[in-house]
Amino acid sequence: MTEKTRSLAEAIAEIADGSRLAIGGNTLHRGPGAAVHEIVRQGKVRLEIVKTAGAYDVDLLCAAGCATAVAAGFVGFETPFGMAPNYRRAVEQGRVEAKEHACYTVIAGLRAAIQGVPFMPIAGMTGSDLPAARGFQTLADPYTQQAVVVIPALIPDVAIIHVHEADRQGNARIIGTRFEDVLMVQAARHVIVTTEQIVDGADFEASPESIAIAGFMVDAVVEAPHGAWPFSCARRYDYDAAYLTAYLAAATDEATLQQFIAEHLLAVPAALIEA
Amino acid sequence: MAANTATARRTGADTNPVAAPAMMAVTLARLLQDGETVFHGVASPLPMVATLLAQRLHAPSLVYLNITGGIESRPEQLPGSTVDPRLLHGSRALVTLTDLFDLAARGRLDVAFLSGVQIDASGRINMSVIGDFARPTVRLPGGAGSAALMPSARRTILWRTKHDPRIFVERLDFITADGNVSHVVTPLCLFARRAGRLTVASLHPGVTPEMVRDATGFAVDVGPATPITPPPTERELAALAALDPGQISASEFARTAG
Repeated sequence: MTEKTRSLAEAIAEIADGSRLAIGGNTLHRGPGAAVHEIVRQGKVRLEIVKTAGAYDVDLLCAAGCATAVAAGFVGFETPFGMAPNYRRAVEQGRVEAKEHACYTVIAGLRAAIQGVPFMPIAGMTGSDLPAARGFQTLADPYTQQAVVVIPALIPDVAIIHVHEADRQGNARIIGTRFEDVLMVQAARHVIVTTEQIVDGADFEASPESIAIAGFMVDAVVEAPHGAWPFSCARRYDYDAAYLTAYLAAATDEATLQQFIAEHLLAVPAALIEA
Repeated sequence: MAANTATARRTGADTNPVAAPAMMAVTLARLLQDGETVFHGVASPLPMVATLLAQRLHAPSLVYLNITGGIESRPEQLPGSTVDPRLLHGSRALVTLTDLFDLAARGRLDVAFLSGVQIDASGRINMSVIGDFARPTVRLPGGAGSAALMPSARRTILWRTKHDPRIFVERLDFITADGNVSHVVTPLCLFARRAGRLTVASLHPGVTPEMVRDATGFAVDVGPATPITPPPTERELAALAALDPGQISASEFARTAG
């Protein structure tokens, strides 16, 4: 069996500039925070982020100049914190392209990729300006002639997800909601799994049906305790409201924001930040 | 005189942070029927509270669905984020967000709760941009699942915790979603969509026709004959207080984004 464990720095180093990057989790929950911070530290550029609903991950990658496009249904910090200021500013200044999706169209694009077909028909979308603005085409159903919107396959170059437990081959357990993580793993060309802890895969034999991710689809496994921080990780820890509040306070101004990123994310070794 | 009265009442409403959240939560809850499948998405504290409130009041068999995929969960503590793992508590089965969109797509989702930064007279919403789509003056969060859900859910209930002419507009900057809107609930009134157009079904207690007319950017037919929304009963208020001691239902009133 292939040994897939890597350091965080090694795993992130394999991401090429210009990649289409799918990020697991949803809004404030179980995003791969440690991996996102390492992407900032390594100064990746021209990334296209894929996510149904993003928050700190998308906003920070826009702030740090790593992302130039965001394909997502929603970007915001939800009611406790409000808008995503750096995503908003980057799009308004033309530094980032907002490839707005309905969340279901992200899912449809990933499903097309998973099934090896060029596009996926979906219900809904009638009356919306999104298909015209985003170039989503309408076809006639060849059987009934009814119009249907079709979403092109969305193939991530890389998917990064954070899980509760993984073995050294990449078999991985997610506790609670899986969000779109399993779809992203199946659709992507290269998969990085960060995990709260690496466990003995023999532990999974008692209930393989509870394992979300099959290791043969995974390329790199990184042990990253507290690696969702500042996102929540179900049944382990909540999102870090104090940190997110401080981040958003710094984000009101470009100078204080870059100072915040330098102090909190660049100057400090990863192990200390995530501890 | 009417203007003075309206101003005085509006000031009064603004300085009472409890009244509007309770009024909206109860009004939203009353719109839900027993046995319905009901879904809310991200950033939706009032729909979360209203759905759980309806279950406790008159809809014990309502099927409560949200992005966590938990089915009929019974959260011990209401979270500020409406995708929070706390929403899994008490759930006996788990589906995915994909499953929930698929449910709507095949016509089996009864109610979707959605909102708009702008809402027009036909109940269409803009959650995308102010200005040009490619190079906007203001980039908004995006419509999440609304473009897919609004046409495919059997009905959509919109809510918005502010009611002013910049929100309720004659013309949207961008149509993020269009579809089966049945009602819109605001701090001032309940709109129902009849013959494709939002009409004022009832004014909340203390709200005058002038207040709604002044606060709405499209023409509304409202006057002395417009009914008053029945105020929350003691039973409704007691159930709300027991459900939401941390006043999560008031959390959206501190924010401008819907």
